[in-house]
Amino acid sequence: MHIPDGFLATPVWAALDLAAIPAVGYFVRRTQAGFDESRVPLLGVMGAFVFAAQMINFPVGVGTSGHLVGGTLLALTLGPAAATVVMTAILTVQALVFQDGGITALGANVLNMAMAGVWLGYLPCRLAGGAKRRAAVFAGGWISVFGAALLATTELSLSRVAPDRPLFASMLGIHAVTGLIEGAITVAALEAIGRLSPKFIFREELP
Amino acid sequence: MKRALWVIAAVTVGLVLFGVLLASAFPDGLARVAGDLGFAGRQSSVAAGSPFAGYETRFFHSRWAAQASAGVVGIVILYGFGVLFGRTLKRNK
Repeated sequence: MHIPDGFLATPVWAALDLAAIPAVGYFVRRTQAGFDESRVPLLGVMGAFVFAAQMINFPVGVGTSGHLVGGTLLALTLGPAAATVVMTAILTVQALVFQDGGITALGANVLNMAMAGVWLGYLPCRLAGGAKRRAAVFAGGWISVFGAALLATTELSLSRVAPDRPLFASMLGIHAVTGLIEGAITVAALEAIGRLSPKFIFREELP
Repeated sequence: MKRALWVIAAVTVGLVLFGVLLASAFPDGLARVAGDLGFAGRQSSVAAGSPFAGYETRFFHSRWAAQASAGVVGIVILYGFGVLFGRTLKRNK
C-alpha cells in the first residue's frame, strides 16, 4: 500500500507532506508526555520487527500479495503515540533507503499507515476496554489496513489516476482480504509477545 | 524482560534471513491495481538509485544474499532509531 512517487497529483502530495510535519511533531510531544523509560529497548526492537515483517509478502488471492503493515501491533505494544512515530520512521527509511514508497508521497503514506493505520488499529481495543480482547485486536488489525487503504484510494482518486468505481472496488476488495490476514497475524503476534513478557503489552492509564 | 527482547530480536533476524526465501513475489495490492487499471506507468522515482533499492543490495549476485543483507541494514537502522529516540525522550524528561 506504499504509494510511490508519480501516482499522486502535486496538490495532493504537497498538501499531505505539509500536514504531516506538524502532525508528527505533535505525536513526538505526546510520546514524551506519557513516556515510560523502561520501554526504550522495546521501541527499537518493535520498530525493527515490524520493518522485517513488512518485507515478507504473502499471497492474497491469485497474482496479488500483501504483507503485515503492523500499525495495530505497534499501537498495542508501544502505545499509539509512540507507534505513530516509529511507523513514520519505518516509512521514511523504506522511502529513502529502499525506494519503497515515494519521497514526495511520504506525507500521504505517513497519514495512511502511521496515523490512520495506527490509531484505527488501536480504537477497537480502546473502546472494548479489555473485554473480548482477541476479537478487538483482530478488528483493530482489519480496520487499520482497510482504513489506510480507503485513505490511499481517496488520494489516488483525487489525483485522477483511474475511474473511481473500479479503483475503489479493486483497492478495497484486495485490502479487505489483506486486513483479515493482518488481524490474524496481529492476534498471534500479540499473544506470543504477551506470553514472553506481559509488560510489553501497552496498558493505558485512562485519563 | 531482557530474554523477551532477545526472543523478538531473534525472530526479527530470522525473518530477514530466512523469511525472505518464502516471501511471495506477486505484486502487492496497490501495484496490482495500478497494473490492472493502467496507471502503473506513472510511477517515477525522485530518489537517486539507492544501493538497497527494492530491498536488494546491489553488490550481491545471489538474490537471497541481496535481500537478507538489505533486511539486516533496515533492522539495524530502525533499532538504532528506536533506541536513540527513546534515549532522547528520557534525557528531555
